[in-house]
Amino acid sequence: MNGPRLAASWTLLVFAFMYLPVAVVLLFSLNDSEIIAFPLQGLTLDWYREVVSDPRLARGFGITMMVAAPVAVLSTLLGALAALALTRYDMRFKAAFAALLLVPFLIPRLILAVGQLIVLSDLGIARSLVTVVLGQTVVILPFTSMIIASVLMRVDRRLEEAATDLGASAWSVFRRVTLPLMRNGLIAAMFIAFVLASSETVLTTFVSGRQQPLSLLVASDFRFAISPSLNALAVLIVFGNIALVLLGEAVRRRSLRK
Amino acid sequence: MSRTGNWLAAPVVLALIATCLVPMGVLFAYSFFQVDFVAINTDPTLKNYAKIIGSETYRSLIGRAFLSGAVVVAITAVIGYPVAWFVARRGGEWKSALLTLLLVPLYTGDMVRIFAWRVILGAEGVINRFAQWAGLITEPIQVLLFSPIASHLVLAYNFLPFMVMGLWLGYEALDDALVEAARDLGAPPVAVFRRVVLPMTLPGLIAGGMMVFVMVVGDYMTPQLLGGASGVTVISAINDLFGTAFDWPLGSAIACTLLALLGLFLAVAAYALSRMNLGRSLISGEA
Repeated sequence: MNGPRLAASWTLLVFAFMYLPVAVVLLFSLNDSEIIAFPLQGLTLDWYREVVSDPRLARGFGITMMVAAPVAVLSTLLGALAALALTRYDMRFKAAFAALLLVPFLIPRLILAVGQLIVLSDLGIARSLVTVVLGQTVVILPFTSMIIASVLMRVDRRLEEAATDLGASAWSVFRRVTLPLMRNGLIAAMFIAFVLASSETVLTTFVSGRQQPLSLLVASDFRFAISPSLNALAVLIVFGNIALVLLGEAVRRRSLRK
Repeated sequence: MSRTGNWLAAPVVLALIATCLVPMGVLFAYSFFQVDFVAINTDPTLKNYAKIIGSETYRSLIGRAFLSGAVVVAITAVIGYPVAWFVARRGGEWKSALLTLLLVPLYTGDMVRIFAWRVILGAEGVINRFAQWAGLITEPIQVLLFSPIASHLVLAYNFLPFMVMGLWLGYEALDDALVEAARDLGAPPVAVFRRVVLPMTLPGLIAGGMMVFVMVVGDYMTPQLLGGASGVTVISAINDLFGTAFDWPLGSAIACTLLALLGLFLAVAAYALSRMNLGRSLISGEA
């Protein structure tokens, strides 16, 4: 029996399986037919034209930007504080703090969403883009904290100690040594947070008001009617997301190699 | 730098309290309230919990959620072991690129993934058309879509990368000399896996399994949109009670029950994990 060869083929198969949905969506987004089925009918870019010229989707895209950008900044900022506290400084209850950071990841998204909904309704806060930003930030915080911590853990502490020994104040050590070294981690976290925020649907459904981001428009279109233009929209979203994630990964990698 | 960490962590803790812990606390409080017509009666009562315990429907929904979690953990573990082995042992300089490649599909978003699977599994979809073309079937297989098969397949697809990450960490901690020793002493492959590889990679399996389990139990979209009649889950029941049925207290009580059971499960798994790390030298000494 040839175990390693078998495992190699299996791995190849699994990777193909992981990318199958992306491939299928791409294929049908270019297919010249109203019906999403085989056999393929020929090439067209009409579905892309339809998506790009749809004012409703354009508005949704604008709202997604207005939500995902602040979420990315806010969750990266909080994630940086958390990662610094965990890896760089003394603090009490460090283990409890680390566990607390994971709580929003472990609670089912819909349960967290209904909890937030009750709080908003009891306090009489109207649902708006602000509530979406705050709600999403907390579920994305575990991801940004981990990404930034993974970069900080590999930064050589002796660099900071040397600066301190040479008489730099705690603030200038942070400002002139730690911050430049963690910068790539911050950028990577921000990209990934943006991607996660723009594709979040469950929590967003509950805490958003009348202004609906693109992810919710896709969700409702999908429930009512499947059209080939949804394929084109999915392709645009997927490749936008993948580009951002790979860009973030490349930036993070660069900082690890140094 | 004494206690600077406390000051850094303070805003994060405040944010977590305001947007996560307070909502969960309020949810817990609501689970003791009741609905009188359209108003909410805040006299504390245990009636909601009594209703859950007494209701065949809710008990079986919770049971089914945990069963789904276990099934998907098992599927992802079986699929994931060879992949994790390959990445850890044969990945070489491509190791981190392979792991990134595995994680990238996670970022395509729930809706897009579910949409794509509908195209693949539908009656006119990729699989049915291919099987018909190849002459394997004459009529399209209807159960591929809107069935438990569809929702479990896609749940396994969704969370497989988490399992592979866990198992990969497990393999990184496994010393191949032990596997070789077992082989040299004449252990057949199944025994090598069961007596050496499995116990040594168990921490990774538990860590990956915990993540997969929690995410399967908490998933809303996948069973809803691909599961057909089986799409009624405990999570969708909570959603209905907060939406159309307007019984927030009962919905809260179900949510709290589910959270308590999940917490218990996580605590047991985390305890097992911590004992394993402590007792690792002991275990390897025995083996």
